[in-house]
Amino acid sequence: MTDHDTDTNVLMRPLNWLETQSEAVFAYVLLAPAFLLLGVVALYPLVRTFQFSLLADQVSAPAPLGGVVGLENYVDLLAGRALLPQQFLDPTFQTPLLQQALFVTVAFAVLSVLFETLLGFGQALVLDQDFRGRRWVRVAIIIPYAIPIVIQAMIFFLIFNPTIGFGTEFMQSIGAFGSNPLASSSDSFLIVLVADIWKTSAFMALLILAGLQSVDRGLYDVAKVSGASAWQQFKYITLPLVAPALLVAMLFRTMDAMRIYGLIDATAGCQTVPSLSCLVITSVFGTRRWATASAVAFLTAVVIGLLVLVYLLTLRNREVGMT
Amino acid sequence: MSDDRQPGPAGVDRTDEPDLDRGIVEAWAARMISNPERAYRASFYVATGFFLVTTLFPFFWLLIVAITPRGDLSDIGVFTPGGTPRTEVTIPLLEWTLAVPAGIPADVNAAAFLEIFDPNVVPFHWYIFNSFLIATVATVIVLFVASLAGYVFGRLEFRGRNPLLLLVLITSFFPPAAFFVPLNRMFNAELEVLSPLLQDGSLYNTPYAIFIPLSALYLPLSIFILMTFYAQIPEGLEDAARVEGTTRLGALFRVIVPLSAPGVATAGVLTFITVYNEYFFSSLMTDGQFQNWAPMLAGILKFQGQYQVLYDLMAAASIVAVLPVTILVIVAQEKIVSGLTAGAVKE
Repeated sequence: MTDHDTDTNVLMRPLNWLETQSEAVFAYVLLAPAFLLLGVVALYPLVRTFQFSLLADQVSAPAPLGGVVGLENYVDLLAGRALLPQQFLDPTFQTPLLQQALFVTVAFAVLSVLFETLLGFGQALVLDQDFRGRRWVRVAIIIPYAIPIVIQAMIFFLIFNPTIGFGTEFMQSIGAFGSNPLASSSDSFLIVLVADIWKTSAFMALLILAGLQSVDRGLYDVAKVSGASAWQQFKYITLPLVAPALLVAMLFRTMDAMRIYGLIDATAGCQTVPSLSCLVITSVFGTRRWATASAVAFLTAVVIGLLVLVYLLTLRNREVGMT
Repeated sequence: MSDDRQPGPAGVDRTDEPDLDRGIVEAWAARMISNPERAYRASFYVATGFFLVTTLFPFFWLLIVAITPRGDLSDIGVFTPGGTPRTEVTIPLLEWTLAVPAGIPADVNAAAFLEIFDPNVVPFHWYIFNSFLIATVATVIVLFVASLAGYVFGRLEFRGRNPLLLLVLITSFFPPAAFFVPLNRMFNAELEVLSPLLQDGSLYNTPYAIFIPLSALYLPLSIFILMTFYAQIPEGLEDAARVEGTTRLGALFRVIVPLSAPGVATAGVLTFITVYNEYFFSSLMTDGQFQNWAPMLAGILKFQGQYQVLYDLMAAASIVAVLPVTILVIVAQEKIVSGLTAGAVKE
């Protein structure tokens, strides 16, 4: 295939050169912008985060990062000796903040993904039916997923605001909340949890719906003929066939839930509900402990990385088992 | 649920028999038992109603807060704006008192929707403008870069394809906090090279500090979406274009991209929405001033001022800021659904 483009100005020259290269070189050149962007914003900073985490904190010196101290930051963090902004969950100040943040993050991830899966399954079952106005019901269910985090936060901030919202009064009447829920760690945790479930159930619903729609409808006819109840149909046909889509969706949601920051920052604040991402930000801006912040950030990445690794290995084993 | 009615078991008659001699509830229960299809249908309507109310009610309540006059903000009900006359009703058995609306509100204030644009309070239109600009630029960058990468991963065979694809996948798993400390240092560094372009030579307080990280963060999803779409274009069409004399790049942008328009639109809509909605970098990379390119979220948080919190304006601004994404969702719902599912399933 010859290139009969005779225009050899400055702009065309690199393009013509590219045309003469092998497919592999062509591929690498086209991938260069993507990996440049990912390298500058993600891969290089990830390496630097690890490097920073091996340095000393310098709270009052002009440069926030000092000399190399090795793994001391990690040891301090895990032993609970690291000086971090505030210790709120535990009034006796006995629990180290890293453990608190780890607990908040993991508890949030587990609970939110659990409830989102249940609600999302319900929503998906509704959307899987054929009915008039299905399109509009689907829009209504997706809309919370598409709204900005700050607005999601604002809605629940206002609902649980003691002066103007009805949420606090209601929760107090059933004895669940104290006087100012947005200043209490456990009450705020619940508010953040509800806000997250409200917004992201739709994501689970859409992925489960995709799984539901790939199920062969003929199976249900067979089940009906053999007299299976609706529950049996769900248990023996729907659930096993949707399971792969469900697992992928749950993995995505878990990873997403573990990076929670904005919702907390705009409702109760990072001091009240310290998640791991919150801890990184408060350590940088609150106390100027860059090295400690880097160590927390890297630990967060490691925790999520392990989760993904387990998932990928499981998936690989299953594929190997299949072939 | 299918609507075909079959006679019930054991010859129980269809439900059209006259129910005149029964109470309404009994008649309803009898119909449910004789025809389980109906019971399923009823529970379906209940579930649909429940999901519609839970997803849409918060928006309705936001509107109520926005139109309540500022003096009545502490009087907002669950369904009615502040200032609505109410009467106390006691529920006999539970001994709860409920305030039931008994009339129309004395005063409704729509001026909050104008006040949010008041330059003396918070010029919210500038924040929206900044958000739109950042989201548009990020979308253009992502679509271009992801088109090149999607073409390579979707259509070319070369050494290292799978490891590189895995690298893209893995990058998308890390939390933004893991990149934050070095990026924050990088964007705050004063670089001589940039000083002719930027005021103090640092990227902090410029739109670059937001759309560069966000473009990278949301690039993998678009690569996966476009990869799937580009892979589906038949080989013959590309070859035909090449015979006609286009370069390989020309074939990509003149044949493959236009033929994959639905996929490009999907990736574009999703990127725009996620960048517009993002919180982490959007809140940390500017000081919150609209002159310094702070996006919409900083504007909304600005109503929480130093001396008073303007709840009604917060609510009004939230409604205004949510309108663009709502319209996008209504217009492009199929694309959003297919993009989210395709992206996740491929990965």
